[in-house]
Amino acid sequence: MVESIYPSKDAHGIWVYLEHTGGRFEGVSLELLGRGRALADTTGENLTALLLSGDGSALAEEALGYGADEVLLAHHPALSVYTTLPSARVVADLIIHRRPNILLLGATVNGRDLAGRLAVRLLTGLTADCTDLLIDKESGLLSGEVTGFGQGILATIQCPDTRPQMATVRPGVFARPVFDPARCGRTEVIAVEIPEDDQHVQVLRQSSRRGVDITQAERLVIGGRGIQGDFALLRRLARALNADLGATRVAVDQGWIGHDRMVGQTGSVTRPKLALVCGASGAMQFTVGIQESETIVAINSDPEAPIFEVADYCIADDVFQVLPQLIEALDREMAGRKG
Amino acid sequence: MKRKREDVITLDDSLWERVMAATDGAVAPCYQCGVCTAACPWGLLQEEPVNVRSLMRRAQLGIHQDGEMWWCTTCRACEEQCPRGVPIADVMLALRRLAWQDRTIPEGISPVMWSLYWDGNPWRQPPSQRAVWARGVTVKRFQPSDEFLFYAGCTASYDNRSQKVALALVGIFGTAGVSFGTLGDEEPCCGDAAYALGQHDYLQQIVQRNSERFVEEGVQTVVTVSPHCQDMFLNQYPPIEGFQPLHYTQYLAQLIQDGRLRFEAEYQVKATFHDPCYLGRRNGVYDPPRHVLAAIPGLELVEMPQNRAEALCCGGGGGRMWMDTKAGERFSDLRVREALDTGAEVLVTACPHCIACLEDSLKQTGSPMRVMDVAEVVAGALSAGRGA
Amino acid sequence: MREPHSIVCLKVVPKSEEVTINSETRTLDRSKARSEINSPDMNALEAALTLKQRHGGRISLLSMGPPLFDQYLRLGLAMGADAAYLMSDRVFGGADTLATSYALAEGIRAIGEFSIIFCGDESSDGATGQVPPGIAEWLSVPQVTYASRVQVVNSGQVLRARRELGSGFEIIEAPLPCVVSVKQDINEPRFLDFQRYDWAMNEAEVTVWAASDLHLDESRLGLAGSPTIVAGVNVARSSERRREFLEGSPQEKADRLIEKIRPWLRVG
Repeated sequence: MVESIYPSKDAHGIWVYLEHTGGRFEGVSLELLGRGRALADTTGENLTALLLSGDGSALAEEALGYGADEVLLAHHPALSVYTTLPSARVVADLIIHRRPNILLLGATVNGRDLAGRLAVRLLTGLTADCTDLLIDKESGLLSGEVTGFGQGILATIQCPDTRPQMATVRPGVFARPVFDPARCGRTEVIAVEIPEDDQHVQVLRQSSRRGVDITQAERLVIGGRGIQGDFALLRRLARALNADLGATRVAVDQGWIGHDRMVGQTGSVTRPKLALVCGASGAMQFTVGIQESETIVAINSDPEAPIFEVADYCIADDVFQVLPQLIEALDREMAGRKG
Repeated sequence: MKRKREDVITLDDSLWERVMAATDGAVAPCYQCGVCTAACPWGLLQEEPVNVRSLMRRAQLGIHQDGEMWWCTTCRACEEQCPRGVPIADVMLALRRLAWQDRTIPEGISPVMWSLYWDGNPWRQPPSQRAVWARGVTVKRFQPSDEFLFYAGCTASYDNRSQKVALALVGIFGTAGVSFGTLGDEEPCCGDAAYALGQHDYLQQIVQRNSERFVEEGVQTVVTVSPHCQDMFLNQYPPIEGFQPLHYTQYLAQLIQDGRLRFEAEYQVKATFHDPCYLGRRNGVYDPPRHVLAAIPGLELVEMPQNRAEALCCGGGGGRMWMDTKAGERFSDLRVREALDTGAEVLVTACPHCIACLEDSLKQTGSPMRVMDVAEVVAGALSAGRGA
Repeated sequence: MREPHSIVCLKVVPKSEEVTINSETRTLDRSKARSEINSPDMNALEAALTLKQRHGGRISLLSMGPPLFDQYLRLGLAMGADAAYLMSDRVFGGADTLATSYALAEGIRAIGEFSIIFCGDESSDGATGQVPPGIAEWLSVPQVTYASRVQVVNSGQVLRARRELGSGFEIIEAPLPCVVSVKQDINEPRFLDFQRYDWAMNEAEVTVWAASDLHLDESRLGLAGSPTIVAGVNVARSSERRREFLEGSPQEKADRLIEKIRPWLRVG
């Protein structure tokens, strides 16, 4: 049995680490406030939000409106852009002093970067990229549901003995809570000291992506022969899905789109979480480029098209009928979520 | 006048030695007539032809190549014309082998070798799914008492288009009542991708392992779907007592000749036949596929102007299936036009790479002509006989 | 430190599609699964090899697992690494990421001074991505995770990397020594070098360490050192695709599709 840095009986409170850029919260941080609220209500604990930033943040009020009972606000110039050590220092110190039961972070690149470091600093258990979180009302024991082996296996992970119980949560799994401006709570400004030695890692610059690299795409919309050159339609779909755009060899040959977007054996091999393939028949030389996707959706008017053999969700219908409906439905869905 | 740096050509003795060793001195007889450059199909599709003659010269002198050898589809149209019998395709592959040693191979090629290593096929497909193509039919495990080992190969096992050829053959074998078996999901890759992409060191491991396997299993006659696999077994594997690798067209021609395969009804179709390079020019198998087609009553075979030893390559050999060829520069675009000019309804071939390339080009034309493998034509003809 | 020394952590994993659940015991059955080197670890090794080509130095490989991992480490030697270390002991078994990162960090200490620790970002089995930051914390060095490009600048004193974040990227610098984890497919791992192959397979020595060869706190190892437990496993999906056809009018199909892919939707 691993010894906890503080006993479970002293561990109270559900904490959520909030990520933010340019004055806005990351979607997953809000989702965690929503789920965190539900967990806290189940056990009767408080929901605390951690907000680290370079200067006084107006986001504290917002966090309260999304369900936090209290916001711990830490400012330091070293926190203005995320790097591991300053954030790990602040969060670990807070946890050691205040002894929460649970710490939740979004399973974003930086969320996982931080969580992995913290878990070792705090000598505690961390459950990665959860697709569900449940809590035991009496004991406050968290169960995290995770996938493994290429999404083939579902496992339930628990951290029975050490505190805090840590988990990173997959973005998009939980619903965003409704903002309630009338919600009250307390904000506490934390005095922060970050040693020089923690500040040697520098972010030189941050940019949005220029140039095309679909191999890193998390969501991909791919057009084949069947879209008859209408990449404008596919672009709208890609925008609605916050996805990148790809193409089969045929589409590239026809000059409908650039070679840098070609998916397949002699193009790019991609591993998106979601691949939406429109109007492609599904020759092996193409499917090699998407076969590692978590989920594949195929839309093709030919119900016998081989693409359906390698798809999870199949729509045997006219792309030009289905896509406009899909775009509309997605726009509605996204508008609803922002609420 | 001061000479620019680039005008000075350096002869590298150690490179010359490596090339001589890698090619077994094969490039020495070349007397630079240039017929190879003229014969090379790239000249039909690119502004500048691939200068085969120059490549041979550089190899002779120990001058660094510029990656030109990666263009070669090993169609051997050049060898057909070479007055000195230089094995030009082998020289190309030997130069590729040197590129591996020098770490100057193009992008996209290392992953193919790792795919062979980890997955046992060049298509990144899971080894556990190699025999999935045969799920719907009854195919038993090979026994030495079987007449032959049916060797589907990586492309027919995994490519949904070529799986149809393997399935057609299983049906034909059933109709003819021949006894055969496969190695199921333990079927090893023949190593063609390693051969074609110049990774000859790794090829030796594959060949060694597979030869021992064939001997253990008591394999004698092997019938392959792909001419590439047959070529590997025939020319790259060490001699094994009684080992006889056949392409399926040779086997079917034999069945027909022996009266074990008969066509009862008419199968009306106008067809033309594309000789795969690895069946025809490489191993001289021109007649068997034609005998098979000739045995089908009602089938009218018209030849393309470039047939048999003069057949135009589809562009898929020499590892080019794993390299990108720009639209407008594909051999198969020309070949398909040649086929369309014959007025044939069906373009028949006998190789999975040829099918992929030819169908790809045919799709662009919007023509109703279809590409079929000989096996699919035979299967179609047999079911016509059954009133199907 | 005189010459650059990279240590690359390699994990041997079962092929995901060949792992099943034993329906009686409700446990994972890896017994019939073929093994391979975790794919992003190959990209990590390739990144280290590229740096070695440019800046010189040595590469050591480190893995933790049963004796059969030896042959996989030798593949890494054949690709161009110089030395290989295998931590192999029953007592390491059953470790979660805390215990694993602890053990590997101790293995790294035993190997000696290093410039960069290279890891793949996640392993295909657990996919936690927690071991590289864990190692960095145990060793008290900076970390750069999920790197898509890696360079060494400032006369070998600084690691400069590109990290992909959401819809953008950042360029980050960390002083050496540090830990870097790389994303999958950021490069093409070079194939085996057959001029090294015989040496790698037959002559090279793979140093094997049992727990007693290293100075380890046994209470931090294996199952005993793991704060997380697996409370249950289930099949989520077979390795085969769902092939679920959605029915109805185009609008209905669109709506049904959104229901299905909801977990993958995300606002920008």
